[in-house]
Amino acid sequence: MDISPVAVYSECDRTAMHVRLADEAYPIGPSAPRDSYLRIDRIVDAARKAGADGVHPGYGFLAENAAFAAAVRDAGLIFIGPAPHAIETMGSKTEARVAAERAGVPVVPGTKDPIAAGVPDADIAAVADRIGYPVLVKAVAGGGGKGMRTVVDRADLSSAVRAARSEASAAFGDAAIYLERRLTRPRHIEVQLLGDAHGLVLPFVERECSIQRRHQKVVEETPSPAVSSSLRRAITSAAGAVARTVGYTNAGTIEFLLDEDGRFYFLEMNTRLQVEHPITEMVTGVDLVQWQIRIARGEPLTLDADALLAPRGHAIECRIYAEDPDNNFLPSPGRIAALRTPGGPGIRDDSGATAGLDVPIFYDPMISKLVAWAEDRPRALARMRRALGEYRVAGIKTTIPFFTWLLAQPEFVDADVHTTYLDEVLKARNGRPFVEPTAELQEIAAIAAAVQAALSPAPHNGAAHAGTAGQWKSQARTEGLRQN
Amino acid sequence: MQYEIEVAGRMRHVNVDRTGDTLAVTLDGRTWQVDAARIDAQTLSLVVDNVWRKSYDVVATSDAATAQLTVHVGETPVAVAMNGRRHKGRKDGAASVSGPQRVVAPMPGKVVRVLVQAGDTVRARQPLVVVEAMKMENELRAGRDGTVADIHAQEGASVEAGALLVVIQ
Repeated sequence: MDISPVAVYSECDRTAMHVRLADEAYPIGPSAPRDSYLRIDRIVDAARKAGADGVHPGYGFLAENAAFAAAVRDAGLIFIGPAPHAIETMGSKTEARVAAERAGVPVVPGTKDPIAAGVPDADIAAVADRIGYPVLVKAVAGGGGKGMRTVVDRADLSSAVRAARSEASAAFGDAAIYLERRLTRPRHIEVQLLGDAHGLVLPFVERECSIQRRHQKVVEETPSPAVSSSLRRAITSAAGAVARTVGYTNAGTIEFLLDEDGRFYFLEMNTRLQVEHPITEMVTGVDLVQWQIRIARGEPLTLDADALLAPRGHAIECRIYAEDPDNNFLPSPGRIAALRTPGGPGIRDDSGATAGLDVPIFYDPMISKLVAWAEDRPRALARMRRALGEYRVAGIKTTIPFFTWLLAQPEFVDADVHTTYLDEVLKARNGRPFVEPTAELQEIAAIAAAVQAALSPAPHNGAAHAGTAGQWKSQARTEGLRQN
Repeated sequence: MQYEIEVAGRMRHVNVDRTGDTLAVTLDGRTWQVDAARIDAQTLSLVVDNVWRKSYDVVATSDAATAQLTVHVGETPVAVAMNGRRHKGRKDGAASVSGPQRVVAPMPGKVVRVLVQAGDTVRARQPLVVVEAMKMENELRAGRDGTVADIHAQEGASVEAGALLVVIQ
């Protein structure tokens, strides 16, 4: 598109891939997000200095911040995303539910208005009784599973409300909560949308994101094995209707819960591009980010609406995180010593990681999005297994062994899942490690460690091996490279 | 060269003898012919002659903080502890080749609990210090057996990434 990219970066991201690939790069502050990536002023400043035409907010950080969108616009720049009012409306979970109801779309039974701090416990209990247990207490300004509590028993309601308020206050600066019925074993189905400045809103084939660990998505796929073509028509029309109600433009995603009876309910809207957007690109051939830019420039959507709902093949994504699945998924920051990403037919790896890079501790420890496409779901799963087997990351722990295990689970293979499935099977494993080397691999590891030591004597061995160094040098054929 | 290598809780005795271009590797009494080619500083290609010639892609990395060596055999990471004694045909009972083990904070955080004191004998993988960071508690463990020489961690203190917490001899 002949666009010259300008990177902004925090201190620890100086060597990040986006800085290396960009045409220009501007520092915006220390590593902590609140000192850099959440600094509207610094980002707008950098854009001005660079003489930029537009800003793409990505996802996370300020991507769903209406004030940021307004600041960019006020600075005379193009914000590659929806208008500030749309971000504001749909960013409030309670206002978004109102918009959905206005569009005639069913919402998860729950409260209409936020419940501010100070509302008496008895009033909240009455509302919960009306909604029906089990009840979810959620933060109005929330996201990412923060500020959420499940209440099964009436007796636990007030303490759950207190805990949710306190978490919401800390995470979002807003203690307002709302209540929602907790559906049993629902599936998370979401619809990607593009809206242009001329009022056209086009929905895409749905994505299923039911594999979540503590409300965080880990695997996404499209199309959903649980969605028939008639359900697809209904749910994508509903998504389009909600988006049109608020005059939505640019990329966004509407999330639904699908209950066991095949009924869907509006959950919330994300007014930005999502992490899992590549799987939609793989089955529709549409470049969503490119369209975001074209829409932001005022171009009309020229996509065939029917084609967007007729996926070609099946795509699945695994979010590869620098986390130790054998230690409660604790973040595993540190230096990536070696990296080999998979390739081959149908494999796409969206990543900023390279060997030698330090995975920062300040941000979400996602190192790549691994996507596999094939003509049908079984082949897509097989390709993903193959790709996971080829993925080499050394120096840090990753969730790759966890995904290898997950893709072999019968319920996952049969697509018999729901949003608490993963938490349940992880609990049932009771901490059993995902990495369990066989006896053969243990032996090879011991042999390899010994061979490694024999071929590359450690520098601090001092006099003990000065004599051997000369001996090894003369065996140059076995040494591909000289050591330091 | 003889090595004592701990894998999955078991100590293995491995001997590596060079004969021409191949290595004769003896592990717990069995010997294999191993053709080892170095790919880069961390990566080796091993072709092990054991009826079939099996090819293994091996990447070895060590965690500076815990001295824990991880050997990736194909896609599987295997935790390995080298107890460091190398003998050239004689037991010299020398002190561990790698020197004192420095346990450092892997990221900024707060020391929540110190589980050992100077003079304690510790085993490999034994938890030493609990550091809270990113709203989670991290247990830092000994990379290998030894004796706690120094404790620099203080309960309640904030620490920077790389801060020295425990030294094990």
